[in-house]
Amino acid sequence: MADELVLDIKNLVVHYETEDADVHAVNGIDIAIGKKRTLGLVGETGAGKTTTALSILNLVPNPPGVIKSGEIYLEGKNVLEMTPAELEKMRGNDVAMIFQDPMTALNPVMTVGDQIGESIAIHQNLSKKEAFEKAKEMLKMVGIAESRVHDYPHQFSGGMKQRVVIAIALACSPQLLIADEPTTALDVTIQAQVLELMKQLIRDKEMSMLMITHDLGVVAEVCEDVAVMYAGRIVEKGTADDVFNHMRHPYTEGLFDSLPNLKQRGEELVPIKGLMPDPSDLPPGCAFAPRCPYASESCTKAVPELTAVDGSATHFVACSAYNNPEFKLRGSKDGR
Amino acid sequence: MTQAGDIKKQYKKRTLFQETWRRLVKNRGAMLGLAFLVLLVVAAALSPVIFDYEKDVIGQNMQDRLMGPGAAHWFGTDEYGRDLFARVIYGARYSLIIGVGSVLLGLVVGTILGSQAGFHGGVVDSIIMRGIDIFYSIPNIMTAVVIVSLLGPSTVNLMIALAFSCASSFARIVRASVMTIRDQEYVESSYAMGLPTWKIIVKHILPNCLSPIIVQITLLIGTTIISASSLSFLGIGVPAPAPEWGALLSAGRSHIRDASYMCIIPGLAIMFTVLALNLLGDGLRDALDPKLKK
Amino acid sequence: MAGKTILEVQNLTKFFNTPGGQLHAVDGVSFTIEEGKTLGIVGESGCGKSTTGRTILKLLEPTGGKILFDGQDITGYSRKQMRPLRQEMQMVFQDPFSSLDPRQTVMQLISEPIIEHKLLRSKKDIEERTLELMRTVGLADRYMNVYPHELDGGRRQRIGIARALAVNPKLIVCDEPVSALDVSIQAQILNLLKKLQADLGLTYIFITHDLSVVKYFSDDIAVMYLGQMVEKAPSDILFKNPIHPYTKALLSAIPLPIVGGEKPVRQLIRGEITSPVNLPDECRFMKRCDCAEERCKNGNPQLREIEPNHFVACSCV
Repeated sequence: MADELVLDIKNLVVHYETEDADVHAVNGIDIAIGKKRTLGLVGETGAGKTTTALSILNLVPNPPGVIKSGEIYLEGKNVLEMTPAELEKMRGNDVAMIFQDPMTALNPVMTVGDQIGESIAIHQNLSKKEAFEKAKEMLKMVGIAESRVHDYPHQFSGGMKQRVVIAIALACSPQLLIADEPTTALDVTIQAQVLELMKQLIRDKEMSMLMITHDLGVVAEVCEDVAVMYAGRIVEKGTADDVFNHMRHPYTEGLFDSLPNLKQRGEELVPIKGLMPDPSDLPPGCAFAPRCPYASESCTKAVPELTAVDGSATHFVACSAYNNPEFKLRGSKDGR
Repeated sequence: MTQAGDIKKQYKKRTLFQETWRRLVKNRGAMLGLAFLVLLVVAAALSPVIFDYEKDVIGQNMQDRLMGPGAAHWFGTDEYGRDLFARVIYGARYSLIIGVGSVLLGLVVGTILGSQAGFHGGVVDSIIMRGIDIFYSIPNIMTAVVIVSLLGPSTVNLMIALAFSCASSFARIVRASVMTIRDQEYVESSYAMGLPTWKIIVKHILPNCLSPIIVQITLLIGTTIISASSLSFLGIGVPAPAPEWGALLSAGRSHIRDASYMCIIPGLAIMFTVLALNLLGDGLRDALDPKLKK
Repeated sequence: MAGKTILEVQNLTKFFNTPGGQLHAVDGVSFTIEEGKTLGIVGESGCGKSTTGRTILKLLEPTGGKILFDGQDITGYSRKQMRPLRQEMQMVFQDPFSSLDPRQTVMQLISEPIIEHKLLRSKKDIEERTLELMRTVGLADRYMNVYPHELDGGRRQRIGIARALAVNPKLIVCDEPVSALDVSIQAQILNLLKKLQADLGLTYIFITHDLSVVKYFSDDIAVMYLGQMVEKAPSDILFKNPIHPYTKALLSAIPLPIVGGEKPVRQLIRGEITSPVNLPDECRFMKRCDCAEERCKNGNPQLREIEPNHFVACSCV
């Protein structure tokens, strides 16, 4: 029996229905995050990562977004069946979200102290004054001097703002933190600081985290579990070790080969050919098949299901090439 | 190898104009407005053919005076027995010509001033914009009254007077859009390409300000028609006996109790025209900006 | 055996006047590039790397210093004097979404520089050349009448590259050409740029915040901090033996996609980049530096040659 799950998404399907087209953003994904675990959701622009995150908070903009089917259990309760009042109570209290751009995530006419205190006051029934005291503590926790509690967001730099955003998110000690590309807008040295801070806070507060990113380096840094997303589906998932060191899906391999940092100078990068398919016009069968160097005719016939790799309990891959037990990725270092 | 020309033909695409039109057609209000305007323009253009100006429009016919709307005179007759239908249709000529004329005049002047102010900024901007601010601080009608009084009442002078307020409003819009577009990377890229400044303004900046300008044109024509009518109503617009709508309204004022249609009908003509222009303007704004799509 | 120097920059400065005082965006930068080579300029936002690139191309007027292009001193050239030189030096911009005029088709965008510099006159020749350029950068013929907003970031960036190539330039300043793109597309564009360099003998100045990209790409690397170069060396040497504390921190800050394997120890640097307004005469990195000493307060260190071709600006080495 698995540990108690904080988040359990089952067969989630989300479409954006616009005048011109029906965009298939998320096409039946299953992910689960255990207590105190950190899952990295990796994928490129348009893979459906952010839509998945918004679904968890039931915040998919509607119209045009429609959650077609699926269940999202947050500590056992289905988010999609909650009343608006229950949702409001859940957001910010049980689940908090950190957005990509710290520049626009803060209200420019409120002091950071008030902004942190606001969510505490709402969810924990504290007086304004008590909430403000708590806000000071939170600021200190994310490494900002208490004396800056009366400052406005524009008086902070980008990295500091992201710290404030983190303080707001963690103010009510949520069970689950969703971080949507939290460091993409930051410089590398600041990114390193913020990641370090997040790692430490997650550990101290015993939270679970869903980290959405396109950066495999960030995933390696922070996450214990990894799910690779492509065209609205999970193509491979497992522990970080499974995915990084024993990768099975051709797309995962392609992502790693595209990275310049592991290569020596002068060597040619191996990009994935072609482009992400248009989510309103997905190819039949495996969505990656048109770009896949291993694709055979059968790949366009049926959408491959996630199947356990060699009976592993954690490592799953969705690729029909493994119907042939002899199949191996070209770059495979792993003779398992 | 295939010829470039053939390839070009092969991949012919809808232009931005066609794309805009396709979206505009879907907007019912805008199409209604456009239909009304087309009808009005056609009627106004044909009015000299349908009516004899001397006889039907300004010729007096005292035994038919103040007849209510009916089969003989669809809109009734005025205090001199002139057919109001003929006068209203003929009057559309004045209103439309003044509206379109002053807006176009204002557009040219305003675009030149606004693009210079917006592009160069600094001192040029301050001089041009403070001058325009001064104009803005005086009510439009007052400016127009002064100009018409100085130049003497005539259709052309009325147009010039009204063009002043149009120019200042275009200058502001153009300046604002130019200022945002000026800082876009594609303008910098044009510099890196070696384009001279005037070409950058004409080829890359102004075409990208087009949507707010087009919308403003439709809306301003409406406002200008109202201003022209107000001036005529005050007696300093198009000189009598020309059947400008404001003048018709003004003439009906003394009979508002016994022959209210004399006010209502020209009033409705103004109202529907302005409404049609606004509907079209709103539709155009949505059609020109694909991001606004619901 | 040194190649021909194509660009020499001497003590380049660019200050901006701001309400708070003078902003030292670029403060005494010097370097030379040989024909056919790539210089990578690396640094974080606000270090002046983009301003350096734009000042070299005279898109911004330099405050001081000298820019010698192909032996010609272009520092004082007016916009008009620069126009013929635009054929020789071009730029690829960071944001493929804002650097293309949304009202022009791909064909119009790519042919614009050809028409502007009167490289070809007949309509047919211009169209042929445009198609040739599109094929060179890997854009299919069918996109010729398409507007940029209908294309994805990678294809848009290819248009930007085709525009730069249209005039057969010698030097291209690439300002973060891949940072707005997805990894798999990044690799496509980087490979394309590399292939073009090999085929056409181009010289690149490659401006980026991403050290992993320059490592793959550059012959020489210059690291900038607050308007100044703090370290400059051939790529291999810089990665093997970084000396300036900032370079070290920058290198170790990159999150490596390695799990379980050997990972170098992180050297976190504290604090954030300070404002480049009203800088005191001391080492600019001092306040964030772990090895700062008393002598770092005595004047702003200049680049010194520590080993052959390896320059470092730090008082402590």
